[in-house]
Amino acid sequence: MPVLKPPTGNPDGPQQYKQPSRKGKKAWRKNVDVSEIEQGLDQMNDEIILTGGVIAEKQSEDLFMVDVAGDASIAQKFPKHIKKGLKAEEIISKRSAVPAVPMRKRAGESKTTDGVLPVKRLRATYVNQKELRRLKKVADGQHEESIAIIEADHDVWATPLENPDAEKYTFLKLAEKAKAPKTMKEQPLSLAANGKSIPAVITPKGGASYNPVFTDYQERLAEESAKAVEAERKRLEALEAERIKLEASARSAAEADAAEARANMSEWEEDSEWDGLGSGGEELSTKAKRPQRKTQVQRNKIKRRKEEERKAKAAALLKKKNAQAERIKQISEEVAEKHRARELEKIELDDEDEEGDEDKLRRRQLGKFKLPDKDLELVLPDELQDSLRLLKPEGSLLKDRYRSMLVRGKVEARRNLPFHRQAKKQITEKWTFKDFVI
Amino acid sequence: MAKIKRKGQTGAAKNYITRTQAVKKLQLSLPDFRKLCIWKGIYPREPRNKKKVSKSSTASTTFYYTKDIQYLLHEPLLQKFRDQKVLEKKISKALGRGDVSDAARHERNAARPEKTGKPRYTLNHVIRERYPTFVDALRDLDDCLSMLFLFANLPSTSAVPAKMIARCERLCLEFEHYLIVSHGLRKSFLSIKGIYYQATIQGEDILWLVPYKFNQRILGDIDFRIMGTFVEFYMTLLSFVNYRLYTSIGLKYPPKFDQLKDDMGGELGAFAIEGVNIATDDATKAVTNGDVAHGVDPKVQAEVDKVVRQLKSDPSNVDQEMEDVTADVDGEEKPNDAIDKFEPVAPGGDILPQPSSSSNDPAELFSQFTFFLSRETPRQPLEFILRAFGCKRIGWDSVLGEGSFTTDESDPSITHQIVDRPVIQAATKEDGDGEDNQTSQKLNQRYPGRVYVQPQWVWDCVNDDELKSPELYAPGASLPPHLSPFVRSTNGQYDPTLPLEAQETEAEALDADLADDKEAEDEEEDENDMDIGSANDDSEEEDEDDVDVEEDEEEGSEDEDATLQRQRELEAEIAGKAVPSKKVDAKTKSKLDAKKALEKKAKEEAEDLERAKGMLSKKKRKLFEQMQYTNNKKSAEDVKLRSKRRKLEKEKSKA
Repeated sequence: MPVLKPPTGNPDGPQQYKQPSRKGKKAWRKNVDVSEIEQGLDQMNDEIILTGGVIAEKQSEDLFMVDVAGDASIAQKFPKHIKKGLKAEEIISKRSAVPAVPMRKRAGESKTTDGVLPVKRLRATYVNQKELRRLKKVADGQHEESIAIIEADHDVWATPLENPDAEKYTFLKLAEKAKAPKTMKEQPLSLAANGKSIPAVITPKGGASYNPVFTDYQERLAEESAKAVEAERKRLEALEAERIKLEASARSAAEADAAEARANMSEWEEDSEWDGLGSGGEELSTKAKRPQRKTQVQRNKIKRRKEEERKAKAAALLKKKNAQAERIKQISEEVAEKHRARELEKIELDDEDEEGDEDKLRRRQLGKFKLPDKDLELVLPDELQDSLRLLKPEGSLLKDRYRSMLVRGKVEARRNLPFHRQAKKQITEKWTFKDFVI
Repeated sequence: MAKIKRKGQTGAAKNYITRTQAVKKLQLSLPDFRKLCIWKGIYPREPRNKKKVSKSSTASTTFYYTKDIQYLLHEPLLQKFRDQKVLEKKISKALGRGDVSDAARHERNAARPEKTGKPRYTLNHVIRERYPTFVDALRDLDDCLSMLFLFANLPSTSAVPAKMIARCERLCLEFEHYLIVSHGLRKSFLSIKGIYYQATIQGEDILWLVPYKFNQRILGDIDFRIMGTFVEFYMTLLSFVNYRLYTSIGLKYPPKFDQLKDDMGGELGAFAIEGVNIATDDATKAVTNGDVAHGVDPKVQAEVDKVVRQLKSDPSNVDQEMEDVTADVDGEEKPNDAIDKFEPVAPGGDILPQPSSSSNDPAELFSQFTFFLSRETPRQPLEFILRAFGCKRIGWDSVLGEGSFTTDESDPSITHQIVDRPVIQAATKEDGDGEDNQTSQKLNQRYPGRVYVQPQWVWDCVNDDELKSPELYAPGASLPPHLSPFVRSTNGQYDPTLPLEAQETEAEALDADLADDKEAEDEEEDENDMDIGSANDDSEEEDEDDVDVEEDEEEGSEDEDATLQRQRELEAEIAGKAVPSKKVDAKTKSKLDAKKALEKKAKEEAEDLERAKGMLSKKKRKLFEQMQYTNNKKSAEDVKLRSKRRKLEKEKSKA
């Protein structure tokens, strides 16, 4: 109901309550039923009068307030002896306004400088891309220089090995240094076939000259070509072996197929037996002869023969034993002779050459990977020049040095890994394009 | 009862350790472990039975001695690697956070050990540990020098930083300077791989190989991490060795290095070598390269005249003064003839025998000459070798770099020019244009009073320790073969450098003489019964030569002679006459006798050998026979080569 009412009369306009259609004269403005709207307007007027405005149009600050004081009843609900926090936290929370004295020595924070003022830059902490790349490398374990190489400023061999003060100050027990084990002094394992140590730089023969004597060169050429021919022969042999292997496997596969086919066939053949075409093998079986009773004479004969056989066997055994006993002496002599011969051989080998050969390597390799092959160090006859200017150097010294390290057993052979193995990625198609609804 | 032994507690299982175990024990990464092993000289070992060592089912491949690895735990460098690992972690953490500046700060601080208080790690202590005495270090210098010279000649890549190359080069040049001053270089050899050098330092022979310039390709199948680790170690080693060598001859180390000169290709000339005590020693032993005026200085001339006068008047006390004068005049250090005295490092050390100075002093070989290197010759090795053998003045074309005595080819003081160009023939056609002719003339221009040789001359002179005749090595001449000076010639082997008389055996010489005599006789006979097919004669002679070679046939002919003699004696007896002596002159007879005696001796020796062989065991005898067989084959070849040469020489002398 409206609060304010006109003094008298019905303020409402003329009304037509039923309005089934809006067509025709009845749909005229004056005939429209506006009672609902009138009612709403009245309500709004009332609201404005009572509350001073429409609530929906008001700011939330006008409607609500923040409760700062809190609810006093909550404190009463909990008992007083429960503390609010840890003591440690309480202590920590009491911070001094003065910053603490730094305990750790931080790098680059010392007050001493070299007197050169740092370059003022707009972005002092900026790190350029190149630097970043380098940092990433360092983080990956690739340091540019792991140790400092300083110019020698003293003679390392000038001081005696033992500490001279050791005898002087006996009242102080000197800290004992760790002693290097004897095994440290052992030579590395040479990979030469004869086990001799290989020199770091092998003395060159005459054939290695840039302008060699004919005989030397010829010898070397023959040697190298024989090696090449041998390598080629081996390669061809391997190829042939591979081919034969493949052929054999193909043949066996074919045979297996054929056998299978035959097995399939035999099923049909079994059927054929039903037709009465089978072989007549079963009809050929003969009757077994029944054993006859032995006579006494036969028994005696058998006995005698058995006795003789036993004796002969025993005699043979005895003879063999005697022979073996005789051979013992001989064998021991042989062994001694062999031993002596081996030692002699060893001595002779020692005399022959005191160096290992880089070309003749032992079969058992060190480590998992094979040694890299030696480069062919030979100038071919048509390229042989007697002028130093026209010389085409052969072989790679870099490889040569590397191989020398391996052959001398200083390091083990490694496989070349040009880059790290990447994580395997599997590429799949997304199937979401199928997820649609018509 | 004996204690029960458990498997894997004693023996090989205890003595060896696999690589994985070692890495775990040291708490390192595998690359760091490799580095440490290389520096400390710990090598992979091979147990007698691999199965007894490792307990794991998978086959381990690399083993080390457990004691070695245990000893590595005491290594201060280990801490370095751990620090590095910490730094890596810090940086990667910072990068992961995206805090790049923090990562940069960590890295920067690690590079400044003086700020962080952490020590800077060097390999200095390892050097003494691995080479207790200086001689030990010298013995391992072969490998060291070869590696450093190789790296000094590499192009710089990401794997081989330019800094490392520059340092290698510097160390190598310093070492070369020592050899120049001490005249320690002995031999050098031009091979197809590179140039071999051999030097003798304190009685130790050191051989190393230097690549030719601009020849090294970087190959994929080489582990540069490992090579770089070796090079780091060897750089430290050579630095200390250089220090010791320099101080041992009273020089200051490091020598002054002129970066500017080096940038301009000064190489050896970029160093200025000084005595230790500059105040007393006025002679700065720099590579002065004859900075003294190379005209005739009037003052010098006066001095020389004075000396000559003195020489004439009083020969006794001149020597001393003369030396003084020459030292003053040259302003250069006079060659250090004194040989280093080898005092043992520690009391009770080995005392090396003092080498006796040879008649040919290597310091004097080229000392009188002034060389000029044409621009096509390899300057670096030539300069080094010439200087090491006493040459003071070397000039070269300005293309070859800084530091030359003169770049002017027409300088009159030049005595030798090294040329490696073929002689260019001028166009011989009638209508050949004059321009071409002119250029060829210009290229072939020769200055009078100067010796032109090819580079090989220098090497051959050095190896034979004497000046070879330059005609053989003239430009355009086909060179004599370049022989390896390192090959030890065995007894009786054919050596093309020696004259025949020096290498042939007695028997051979006698044979040759006899053959000569015979020939002479034949010729006389020929002269007697004039012109009977002299054309056939040569071929016959050749046949005879062949016969000489084969010993068996020789023996056969000997027998024939004997039977003939006997027959003659018999005939004489029957006839009742005196034995007719074969008409031979005394000279030939004595030779024949000598030959017979030789043969008899050889036979006796062979018999002795046969008897001795009978005493040997079967196996040893076989081996001995094999050896003898190969030796005989080789010596037969040598004999053949010598006979060939004899024939050639004879023909030459005839012609």
